[in-house]
Amino acid sequence: MKLTLIALSLTVAAVSSGCTSLGVEPWQRELLARKDMQPGGSRLDDAIDDHMYFSKEASSGGRSFGGGGCGCN
Amino acid sequence: MLELRELPGDVLGVRFSAMASPCELLLGRVESDLALQLGSLAAAEAQRIEQKFSRYRADSVLGWIHRRRGSALQVDEETALLLDFAQQCFELSDGLFDITSGPLRRVWQFDGSDRVPAPQAVAQLLPCIGFQKLSWKSPWLCVPPDMEIDFGGIGKEYAVDRAYDLLLARCPVPFLINFGGDLRVSRPLPHGPWKVAIERPDSARKAAMMLEVEYGALATSGDSHRFLFKDGIRYGHILDPRTGWPVPDAPRSVTVAASSCTEAGLLSTLAVLKGKGAADFLQQQQVRSWVLR
Amino acid sequence: MQLEPTIGNLRSKLIAASCALLGGAPVARAETHDVVDTINRALTDWQLDAALAYYHENGRIQAVEPVINAEHDLADGGQLDFDFTFDALSGSSPNGALTSRQVQTFASPSAKSFAQARHMYTVSSGNLPVDPNYSDARVAGGASWTLPLSRLTRARLGGKFSYEDDFYSATVSVGLERDLNDKNTTVSFSVNSENDFLQPIGGAPTPLSDYTQFEKGGHETKHGVGVLAGVTQVMSRNWITLANVSVDRFSGYLNDPYKIVSVIDAVGSPFGYVYENRPDSRTRRSVYWENRVGWSQGSVTADARYMTDSWGIHSETAQVHLRWWLPGRDQYLEPSARWYRQNAADFFRPWLADTAAVPSDVSSDFRLAAFDALTYGLKYGCKLTDHLGRFGRELSEFNIRLEYYEQSLRGNPAGPPASSGLDLYPKLQAFLLQIGFSY
Repeated sequence: MKLTLIALSLTVAAVSSGCTSLGVEPWQRELLARKDMQPGGSRLDDAIDDHMYFSKEASSGGRSFGGGGCGCN
Repeated sequence: MLELRELPGDVLGVRFSAMASPCELLLGRVESDLALQLGSLAAAEAQRIEQKFSRYRADSVLGWIHRRRGSALQVDEETALLLDFAQQCFELSDGLFDITSGPLRRVWQFDGSDRVPAPQAVAQLLPCIGFQKLSWKSPWLCVPPDMEIDFGGIGKEYAVDRAYDLLLARCPVPFLINFGGDLRVSRPLPHGPWKVAIERPDSARKAAMMLEVEYGALATSGDSHRFLFKDGIRYGHILDPRTGWPVPDAPRSVTVAASSCTEAGLLSTLAVLKGKGAADFLQQQQVRSWVLR
Repeated sequence: MQLEPTIGNLRSKLIAASCALLGGAPVARAETHDVVDTINRALTDWQLDAALAYYHENGRIQAVEPVINAEHDLADGGQLDFDFTFDALSGSSPNGALTSRQVQTFASPSAKSFAQARHMYTVSSGNLPVDPNYSDARVAGGASWTLPLSRLTRARLGGKFSYEDDFYSATVSVGLERDLNDKNTTVSFSVNSENDFLQPIGGAPTPLSDYTQFEKGGHETKHGVGVLAGVTQVMSRNWITLANVSVDRFSGYLNDPYKIVSVIDAVGSPFGYVYENRPDSRTRRSVYWENRVGWSQGSVTADARYMTDSWGIHSETAQVHLRWWLPGRDQYLEPSARWYRQNAADFFRPWLADTAAVPSDVSSDFRLAAFDALTYGLKYGCKLTDHLGRFGRELSEFNIRLEYYEQSLRGNPAGPPASSGLDLYPKLQAFLLQIGFSY
């Protein structure tokens, strides 16, 4: 748990301070706007896959919360 | 489909077809992906406007308006703005610019032959022409059953300005957007102005006229390609909606430079409609122009 | 050329008229009021995705699952998401008992005693014990609302439910998102709470009780709470990266009420069976990292996840998808691969020896065992804009997807002498076929 909190706070710190040099201007986002470039762009496929893996494996979620809600595990 | 090509002077060109014309987006040096992306943005906007205001499609706004003639219709914002503009141009031009002049098409076919319509046929159509006969008070439009409206006279230039606005927000380099000869530039290239060639058909000087453009828009009107020829008289396809007949002594081509393509297009159309007085009219308006006879 | 210093009267009015036309309200969408166009207009702010999936395991379960998802953009910049799933499963489900040379007879969960013939099933020699009458139908749905709190901050409220005849579940979640660095960075945090109500067919069995005693009755509940923190960062024009850290904890009835564990005698013949029992709490931590890199002809998505939990399980997952647009950009192919590895839960035992004491927690559910899993997939999609004519939209698409999944158990003890030569840990092989439509 402690390790997790440290990792998380390091990530947030790195992101809010050191990352101002990373990134693009608004008019450079044309590629990023494509559906296959968006996290969450393949929601339906992910949901079907996640349901399959949830019912066959011991891990679930990670991409988003709440992997459960189904009686199949 | 879009076609990318390299042009001299470190310029990238994206070609496509829209509004029944060859269209082009020229850009200063950018990555091909961005060029194609911007090109498709411009093409999409041209297609959107073309489809929305097409006279031939049943699913366009005009199709809808023409199906419901005689009833009061509430048009959408874009159509309302165009109708307002058409009304102002009608008033400013004393009736020369009239989007209701479509019915004249039925008797005039400019196919280079000598089939000039009979005067009665033309006279019969005049009662159903005239913007003042429409009932227009934004956003309510009522088109009488025997009339029709057509944005063909300003469609292409309007599309250039719309595409220009979309591109200006997204394009980091100087660009030139050209829909079949009506064009607009954002700013000059790093090494100098844009070089534009204007065709000079039927002229003793076959070479194109070269213009240098740093800012603003160009629009060209004229009747060089479509006409009728009978008894030694050439009837150009620019018709005076007040008489139903071609404007006498219309110049072959008028090119106007202005800050927006819509403005340039209107001025060039009005100039042609002035016939003999084209050059004087343009001079009075203090606008850069080139009149070819 | 420069704007002329003095301009004619008509021209100045024309300029004013042009400004009114062009400087007017933005025209983002064509709008008409025609009845036929009402469909397109109503759908302008909606994005629909629908799919029908068919899943088939060799000799075991098959399932049909239609899914639909709808996203609606709100005028204030927020969004509503709705999803709905129905799935119907049938086939054979492993009951947890060990494969044996002896013929084994079991009772279906609904049976109250061995005397009820129609609720029994027999497993022949050398076969994995499965309940062949397994069938289940499930209905599930969810909704979420994203609302802007300020230009850079959004809140998200969500709820999900799932309903089948022996299991109901309801989840609520709350989250917050904030953009930084010119919207190049987004940080998010969310909390969710899940409540499940189980009503096993035949009643929940007393854990670790003798299978033949049919000690069953009643219903059970479980409850879970989770938190997730994430950051998304645009690295360059064509690279975006995302990392999530999540922790969740479930407590209550975490057993599978239908699973038993074989008790084997010294020779290795089945001596009896007991119902499994798992600890009544489980805490999981996971770290997830995703990268998407794109170019004009396609993109690649690579992600990895590491998970550990309080049951002694830890797992690694790695996945890659390659989107390849065919020339013409109307169609694409997307091959994908996934590699997964987990180790066994502390209390996983493929069987129990009759001489040893029964541990307080034991399960022989292969899903808690150590295994490697591989998935290979191929997806084909094609844009529908031109074919649907005026009802087409830029994002409308038809797609079809095929995946092959195989799970290989590993590291398990060799069976007792009586089972030598038998495959105690069969490989699971399954395929998924899905057709989908986006509009």
